[in-house]
Amino acid sequence: MNYHWDWMFFFQETDDGLKYYDWILSGLGWTTFVSLASLAVALTLGSVLGVMRTTPKRWLVGLGDAYVDVFRNVPLIVQLFMWFFVVPELVPEKLGIWMKQDLPYFVTAIVGLGLYTAARIAEQVKAGINSLSRGQRFAGLALGFTEWQTYRYVRLPMAYRIVLPALTSEAMNIFKNSAVTYAVGILELYFQYKQIIEKTSQVLEITIVVTLSYFILAFVMNRILAFVEARTRVPGLIVGQKGGK
Amino acid sequence: MIEIKNVSKWYGSFQVLTDCTTQVSKSEVVVVCGPSGSGKSTLIKCVNALEPFQQGSIVVDGIAVENPKTDLPKLRARVGMVFQNFELFPHMTITDNLAIAQIKVLGRGREEAVDKGLKLLDRVGLKNQAAKFPGQLSGGQQQRVAIARALAMDPICMLFDEPTSALDPEMINEVLDVMVQLAHEGMTMMCVTHEMGFARKVANRVIFMDRGAIVEDAAKEDFFGQPRSERAQTFLAKILNH
Repeated sequence: MNYHWDWMFFFQETDDGLKYYDWILSGLGWTTFVSLASLAVALTLGSVLGVMRTTPKRWLVGLGDAYVDVFRNVPLIVQLFMWFFVVPELVPEKLGIWMKQDLPYFVTAIVGLGLYTAARIAEQVKAGINSLSRGQRFAGLALGFTEWQTYRYVRLPMAYRIVLPALTSEAMNIFKNSAVTYAVGILELYFQYKQIIEKTSQVLEITIVVTLSYFILAFVMNRILAFVEARTRVPGLIVGQKGGK
Repeated sequence: MIEIKNVSKWYGSFQVLTDCTTQVSKSEVVVVCGPSGSGKSTLIKCVNALEPFQQGSIVVDGIAVENPKTDLPKLRARVGMVFQNFELFPHMTITDNLAIAQIKVLGRGREEAVDKGLKLLDRVGLKNQAAKFPGQLSGGQQQRVAIARALAMDPICMLFDEPTSALDPEMINEVLDVMVQLAHEGMTMMCVTHEMGFARKVANRVIFMDRGAIVEDAAKEDFFGQPRSERAQTFLAKILNH
């Protein structure tokens, strides 16, 4: 192979006076920020939707189901383009102009990625709640809890514990999915990766570094949630205990 | 205290309760028995509106359960209920299980709620289990905690829905002992159970249900002496001969 390895190029200066490693670090920062912010949006909205879909109210269930159907069945990149290019044309003109001119790109990207992931989290939260016995709700109601209080104090705390492994996957996915936001102009890690390839043609080095970066981000998320899982494990309960071996 | 009048309930076109009428007076202990599927659990769940019913009325302490204007959480907070599968909250310690509804529903301070909970825990003989989680207790112990949790709300009456049906035989008595003690203290109780020994000991009246209807509603002595319905006689013969 005639490839010319040059690991030192990361320390070379770029057109804008920074070093290439600065671009990587900046990309990492944006990836982390966009991912965590989207995760916050997704967890909040996903929980609300998941709860809606388990209530006795038909119209709430229908609304939640419809949301999940739409947002799970359209590719993420198409959804992002929808938010950037189509939605501003559909809303009232003033709002549309504001969305195109004043609303920072990253906000739209975070909302887009968050709403997409919310549909998946809604599915998991619903599954978690439905896996609990009907009697848990009855027990809460019988003590005088309102329907909402049975969620807050009885059902959600157990449902989250049960679906935490699935939520962990979702949290790791969001870091990987955030790469798609380069297509709408977010200067995150994948954007910087493309840019560095164009400028330097040191494809192998930069690919290795970017691969490792994504791996580490997702892995750290995994470890953090594994810690949360261990801390919230309920003594004496089979669910959530380490099986096998 | 509890007045059930002409209550009927359907799941779709299937009728689960047919024109049920009975009442439980203050300090009275009423045992509801009958074959499985006879609607006894459904009926008792109608009393605190955990199950809706389409016809008739149930009045608890002067409040109509079926009235849409009734503040159900407030009413339920005053009616204790114990379930077949205990239904303690698995992610909370025993102490928190006892305290949470006192704090969140009755607005008691945490200290007062814990204090009250621990006193009741002591009463059901489980004082030293306060820091444990439900999954670390036996079924009988969990059910005693569940009774203490209901009592912590200072209920005006208690509903028991097959409280010993999910228990191993050697644990049934520890739960029944607590219930007998409650009955002797004058608690108003409606108990769905097959424990005829318990019924003999403390019940004032026994209700026998079959296919969603109340077939027999008699004073204990009459019920065990000479039940009027043939169906109740057959049922008794089956469960008493063992």
